[in-house]
Amino acid sequence: MKVLEDFASKFGGKIVLNSEFILEKGGRYYLLNPTLRKVTHADFYYAGLYLGKVKKGIFFPSFNYLKMLCNVATNKVVLDGKAAWLFICGRDAFLNGILKMQGSRKRGDFTMVVNEFGECLGFGKVVDNFDMPRKEVVIENVLDVGDFLRRES
Amino acid sequence: MSGKEFFVNRYREFGWEFRPVYARQAIRINQTNSKGKNLLERLRTAGADLMKVPFLESGYWVGKSKVSVGATVEYLLGLYSIQEAAAQIPATLFSTLKNKLVLDACAAPGGKTVHLADLMDNRGAIVALDINSRRLIALKNHLERCHVRSAVVYALDARKASSLNLEFDRILLDVPCSGNFASDPQWFSRRTLKDVERNAKVQREIIAESTKCLADEGEIVYSTCSLEPEEDELNIDWAVKNLNLQTESINTPGENGLTQVFEHRLDSSISLCRRIWPGETQGFFVCKLKKRVGKQ
Repeated sequence: MKVLEDFASKFGGKIVLNSEFILEKGGRYYLLNPTLRKVTHADFYYAGLYLGKVKKGIFFPSFNYLKMLCNVATNKVVLDGKAAWLFICGRDAFLNGILKMQGSRKRGDFTMVVNEFGECLGFGKVVDNFDMPRKEVVIENVLDVGDFLRRES
Repeated sequence: MSGKEFFVNRYREFGWEFRPVYARQAIRINQTNSKGKNLLERLRTAGADLMKVPFLESGYWVGKSKVSVGATVEYLLGLYSIQEAAAQIPATLFSTLKNKLVLDACAAPGGKTVHLADLMDNRGAIVALDINSRRLIALKNHLERCHVRSAVVYALDARKASSLNLEFDRILLDVPCSGNFASDPQWFSRRTLKDVERNAKVQREIIAESTKCLADEGEIVYSTCSLEPEEDELNIDWAVKNLNLQTESINTPGENGLTQVFEHRLDSSISLCRRIWPGETQGFFVCKLKKRVGKQ
């Protein structure tokens, strides 16, 4: 499951999944427990834990996968309450909303974004070096859980 | 045969005097996801006015709140779901769920599927069916948001459930129904008795098909949000008389199921069903059925 492992490595994390329990259908990846595997036929619509999809060669993670990744990623930023709220509204993160930063601070790197409770809100891209920021926005929002509201509206 | 007067007269005949009721918004805490997260305190701090629903373990009514409970971080993280109070009853009526094979025959948009997964602690497997493509999208989003791990979804008509060649320990039949006025202000002008009869026919087909896939000693929970006996007691009476099923006693609010409907005298066991007239909740009907073993 190279595509899943490659994505995890972008956050400095490593996830090893048993390929026996991963199903791929139409570019979408699902992780199934052994009981579910036994009752899942080829024509399923959705199964187990949805991990993400590959579209035009790009992997788009699910929030299930991001949650898993949050536990192992080394690149992580912790936002305060207000910044967390703005982030799930699709906004970028400003330096003054960041409580803590772990792992890479390098421009262009990906980082998980969590709230003060350590819950995964999504992920973003470092757009300015943290050590000497010249801009206010330091984490560009790539995907956030507010997507659940936006995708059905 | 339609219109407010027609239906209100029917309700009077069944012993309930009509009064306008609007369903109150409620949430259900997803216990598996919210363990150790002080969810209630977090929601109350955010400005949500929550009142415990006395007959539900994880249900809270939402009062006038400063925050929309459908747009909080906690909601988006799957720590709770928005689910009307009566709709939180059916999944709780099965005797045991963990490690069982469960069919949710009319699953979308997934509120009860997620509830089942939560009660099962994601152990065992849920097979969820639906055919409406828009509702299937809502179902998969709901499963992803709540991090459900134990469900497989098929775009399949519940009336073809036996084509899966599986034998289920538990079956939830929250069947498509005519609804009720408490959850739809235009209900009286929208619905006719013909709609009710058409839905009742489909519901019987779903019960019959599901029974084919039910294991011996297996359980079915049947529910509708319809107040019309054609979709409720008359269907269950038919199932008990024709499908080797028996009603089981359930501990939930509501009145006994009707055993006299117009000129029809129903099986006395139909009284074990629960009819919830609109009031604290929307209108609802629920019952539990068990497959008889060794008798036809």
